[in-house]
Amino acid sequence: MTEATTKAEDLRIERVFDAPRELVFKAWLSPEQLSSWYGPAHFSVPGDRIVVEPHEGGRWELVMVQRDSGAEHPLRSRIVELREPELLVIENEALPDHGMGVTRTRVEFFDEGGSTRMVLTDGPYEAPMGGMAGQGWAAAFDKLSAVLGG
Amino acid sequence: MPTDQLSRTFAALGDPTRRQILCRLAESEATVSELAEPFPVTLAAVSKHLKVLERAGLIERDREAQYRPSRLQIEPLGDASDWIEGRRLTWEQRFDRLDAHLQTLQKGTKDDD
Repeated sequence: MTEATTKAEDLRIERVFDAPRELVFKAWLSPEQLSSWYGPAHFSVPGDRIVVEPHEGGRWELVMVQRDSGAEHPLRSRIVELREPELLVIENEALPDHGMGVTRTRVEFFDEGGSTRMVLTDGPYEAPMGGMAGQGWAAAFDKLSAVLGG
Repeated sequence: MPTDQLSRTFAALGDPTRRQILCRLAESEATVSELAEPFPVTLAAVSKHLKVLERAGLIERDREAQYRPSRLQIEPLGDASDWIEGRRLTWEQRFDRLDAHLQTLQKGTKDDD
């Protein structure tokens, strides 16, 4: 049940946006715009702390700030490929605290008659022992066993 | 009265007997009588604890088997595919906000025209 299997998988998501391709593409490179949509729920992404150097090899960095606790989660990435307005690939620094190694976020933008189909692949997600949640529970049960003397 | 899953899970973990039952199940699945063995309590009392653990999603029990062995059920929380599903949800929500953001942008442009 808790064998240490390592599974690496990519996540792939598609979405059609009712907006021209240039506009959707720009939303990934403008700090002001990233600030308004990138943060997960419960997080803010302050615009003045976003760094985007819009060229291959350039930095793509932001800080996610947890709304309730103020805890900060920096995301440091580099632009690996940039072909405006059709392709953006960024490489994300590993987040060991979140059980994540180096990942790549690849975003392709397809023009569909004024709308834009955006295809995102993100990964690989390696989830040894089921990633963060699994490790948390395994650790909790280990402690529990120790406290109870096994 | 908190009824969400996380509250139920923590409430279930708040009892020492139930924690010991979970530790026992971490080794292997077990029937009610096997679980009751180390405790100075009745089978009925252990059954009651198992119901709480089951509702909290921490164990599962065989429906058909006569002795309904209990199994620790922590895989759903740690399963690799769940981890990825969590990431998917994050991205989907991000796309929702991007969608709303793009609509606002375009509306602004149109209003300016």
